[in-house]
Amino acid sequence: MLFEIFIFPGILYILVWTVVLFWFFRKFMAALHKRVGPSFNGPAGSYQTLFDLSKLLTKESITPQGVNPYLFSLMPLLAASIAIVPTALIPWNSGSTVLSSNYALLVLVVLIGIEPFLLFLTGFGSNNKYSFLGGIRVLTQMISMETSFFLAALSPAILFGTLNLNSIVESSSWLSFVVLIPGFFLYFIALLGLLEQPPFNIPDAEQEIVYGFYTEYSGTNYFLLKIAEFSEFMAVFAGAATLFLGGYRGLFFDNFLCLFLKMLAIAVVMMVIRASTPRITMKQMLQFSWSYLVPLTLLNLAWIMAAKILFFGAAQ
Amino acid sequence: MDDLKNIFSLFDTEYITEYKTSWLKVKLSFSSNLLDVAQMLQKNGLRTISTISPTDFIDENKIEMNYFFEDLVTKRNCWLKCDIPRELKHCKIESLSNLFKGALWHEREAYSMFGVKFLNHPDLRPIILSQDYYNKFPFRKDFDWQEHEKNSVENMNLIVESFQEEEHLSENKLDPNSSEMILNWGPTHPASGPIRLKVHCDGEDILGIDPDIGFVWRALEHLVTQKDFVGAIVAVERLCFMDNINSMVCYAQAVEEIAEIEITEFAKWMRVLLGEVGRISSHMMGMGGFYNAMGLHTVAMWNMDMRELFLDFLESYSGARIATASVEAGGVRYGLAPEMLEELQKALDKFDATKEDIKNIFINNPTMKMRAAKLGILTQDEVQEYALCGVVARASGVKTDIRIDEPYAAYDQIELEYVTQKGGSAKDRLFQLFEEIEQSVSIIKQAKKHIEQKIEEGEFNPTKDYMVKMPKKLPKGEAIARVEWARGEVLMHLVTQEKAKSPYRLKMKAPSFNHTMMVEHLLKGETLSDIPLVFGSLYICQGDLDR
Amino acid sequence: MLKIFDFFAHSKSESVWMAHFCTGCCSLEMAAAMGPRYDWERYGYLPTPSPRQADVLVITGLITKKVLPALLRTYQQMPEPKYVLALGACSFDGGPYNDSLAVVKNPTEILPADVFVAGCPPTPEAIISGLEQIKQKIKDGIPSAASEGGLYKEMKF
Repeated sequence: MLFEIFIFPGILYILVWTVVLFWFFRKFMAALHKRVGPSFNGPAGSYQTLFDLSKLLTKESITPQGVNPYLFSLMPLLAASIAIVPTALIPWNSGSTVLSSNYALLVLVVLIGIEPFLLFLTGFGSNNKYSFLGGIRVLTQMISMETSFFLAALSPAILFGTLNLNSIVESSSWLSFVVLIPGFFLYFIALLGLLEQPPFNIPDAEQEIVYGFYTEYSGTNYFLLKIAEFSEFMAVFAGAATLFLGGYRGLFFDNFLCLFLKMLAIAVVMMVIRASTPRITMKQMLQFSWSYLVPLTLLNLAWIMAAKILFFGAAQ
Repeated sequence: MDDLKNIFSLFDTEYITEYKTSWLKVKLSFSSNLLDVAQMLQKNGLRTISTISPTDFIDENKIEMNYFFEDLVTKRNCWLKCDIPRELKHCKIESLSNLFKGALWHEREAYSMFGVKFLNHPDLRPIILSQDYYNKFPFRKDFDWQEHEKNSVENMNLIVESFQEEEHLSENKLDPNSSEMILNWGPTHPASGPIRLKVHCDGEDILGIDPDIGFVWRALEHLVTQKDFVGAIVAVERLCFMDNINSMVCYAQAVEEIAEIEITEFAKWMRVLLGEVGRISSHMMGMGGFYNAMGLHTVAMWNMDMRELFLDFLESYSGARIATASVEAGGVRYGLAPEMLEELQKALDKFDATKEDIKNIFINNPTMKMRAAKLGILTQDEVQEYALCGVVARASGVKTDIRIDEPYAAYDQIELEYVTQKGGSAKDRLFQLFEEIEQSVSIIKQAKKHIEQKIEEGEFNPTKDYMVKMPKKLPKGEAIARVEWARGEVLMHLVTQEKAKSPYRLKMKAPSFNHTMMVEHLLKGETLSDIPLVFGSLYICQGDLDR
Repeated sequence: MLKIFDFFAHSKSESVWMAHFCTGCCSLEMAAAMGPRYDWERYGYLPTPSPRQADVLVITGLITKKVLPALLRTYQQMPEPKYVLALGACSFDGGPYNDSLAVVKNPTEILPADVFVAGCPPTPEAIISGLEQIKQKIKDGIPSAASEGGLYKEMKF
């Protein structure tokens, strides 16, 4: 149990994941920019993000004047711990889930969905106009993007008739993969909105509102927020791989490595979009979400039901 | 031209002369006639005031006002002068900003620097100046700035206090029951650069914007009067570093005109070559800035990759990457070696290899079009009214390009056409930038071919005839020079005294000043997300905004 | 235990983030230093949008009177330990604007810089080597020059 809490898939795993993914993002983005990226610290600059994150721990954590110090410092801690919890629900390896539950999908979706509220509170508690605007933007984006995120995440549950993530992975097949492709696309688009990635990086739009809700955070608090951000990346990526791409099951062997590669592939697609798509405005995001994405996810549910009857013989 | 002369026959004038190809130079006997003259000029199609330049003649106890009227359609221009008394009490003239909206900020500038009061001006606050110079009129010849600088600590405290006071006042003015707030967009903002836009907003909606400029005010126009004619280049070139070469060309032309010196044919072609390289390196940063405003840094990086090679050419030519100081009155500063042209060829090859990628991924980008196609639209009328120029004007479909209208250097021997867009939106300004880069590349290719050919034929001697000798002292005179800078028209008005060693007065009209005026007009009623995009698409450089 | 402290001290010196505040022409060369050819991210430098996460403040060339209070406020907003890098002749004595009536001639007397990079503007290589010197200073545990004194401590901003 201690191993699971502290090592895998617990705190150490999260830290390593954060360091590796942060490094991978920077290195891959640099390649798309025709640059090199971090290169002198360790092999291919792989220690760089480790140094960056460790440095944040030793920096001064400023609490600005006029804020509620408890709210200001508590929120990053809360955000990080809530963001770490979903790792316990993901089936990382065959038969090794920390918290095997029949309602795992529901819990996962709720835990992912609660995160933006906490980020809103960080912005709200910062007593800064830009932070506050960032917080409001997080909230707006959450309401419009999470609807479709939930509906898209629901499609495998309907198809397999279970909310248990283990059973979803075990019962996935090539046929179910094909049936779930539209659902995966919709999940992916909603994921971009949820993780504040371009073209939906509206809440921390650097050129508009400085750094959104991050603006006033420094030192350890900023470190915790970064951990929360990357843990959320992990939860959502792992959710996508588990729900739609067959989780740890691979072509030749079933292993954690397969899941990891699938998550990395999603990250790669995300980065390519990030390097080629400009940000859209709040208005356009709302319009896109409510007039296209949500209706499409509902249509997708209808398609899943039809497919279940046609291909999986649910009518009998 | 004749119809313009007819107008002036109605008024008392000291002289009416034709100047250069397209200018009519007139001096009014009485400043009280100004408003009537301006009205008639406007009716005749001269709808644009390029700039207003007061010159302080302390010995004759007068301030001479220079108005530069332009017609962007028929290319007839008028340089109107009149004298007003120098004493602060009587230093008054009728404001033209109710007729010509573009004069709004130029009159404020003339007021801040020289203390010329413009009667009936709607908003005559000081502009550009730091607060310690308010009501001191630092560009007057009798202002002792060294004396003023001695109290530097008090000056700094004054700046801080008045800033805080203003902040306090504007916060207090807000209605406590409304959700209106004031955002300071800059000068520490990641996308703003050193400018402060005071954005009044209600949530995400913009209610109004008041630009506060002057954060990089270096008083260049004052600085050049303390340097000699060669040393002034250093100041002129720092108008904006993105394209420093064309501003030097402009200054050099004004000096050559007063000295009555004709430069060699080779130097003319070199100015074209260098100027276009400067334009490309600036436009590439401009395109990058446009996309950076939407959170996409890839274009900036790819353009930087190409730009480095163009800078390599400048480095091999002058020894410096961007502060080249390579154009001087009398020609260009250095000769040309064949290796330098090889560097240039490398840059051109790189551009040709990358062009298609950029076009396919970023110029035809659907998300960009979704955001920018209907934003920040400027009509042709607005371009003329507000004296917009360069990329911004041409993106709205106005055919204005000094390289064609009033050819300088060797542009009259180059095949060149107006590049314009139709819509005038932010998207069109991006397209315009990209097409102008392509145009500049074709000009460079022509110029390079011509130079190489003439060197082979023996007509150009690249190691000798790049420079003609300039006299150390210049006669009394004045001249204006215009060039098509990367951002638009730069107009320099140079005045010298008898046996002058340094300029008596140099007025630099730089395009960003007028473009920044448009920020409020374009953004009222839009949302916060549109500020960086509109600001980026107007292609503003704070260097030439504040000077 | 000592080893762990050493590790943190080392990581502090190896990860230098820069506050985004451009006031002068040198910021153009700084942009070039971020660009593909020079790419300062190889050494771990990273621009941050907000001064709260920054370690080093770069004075990019000229400081006018109007922008000086904003610069000092930006410096105040950064978390300790913080360092200052001054670029260009302007930040030393006003450089080409020495005779100008609107430029602060002694920015580094007001806000002492740890490393001064010469040039007008300094080349990207010089900027990167200046940052490397700051790294060395952090590694050696030398306190920043601005924390030792400077005119800004007596000024209002």
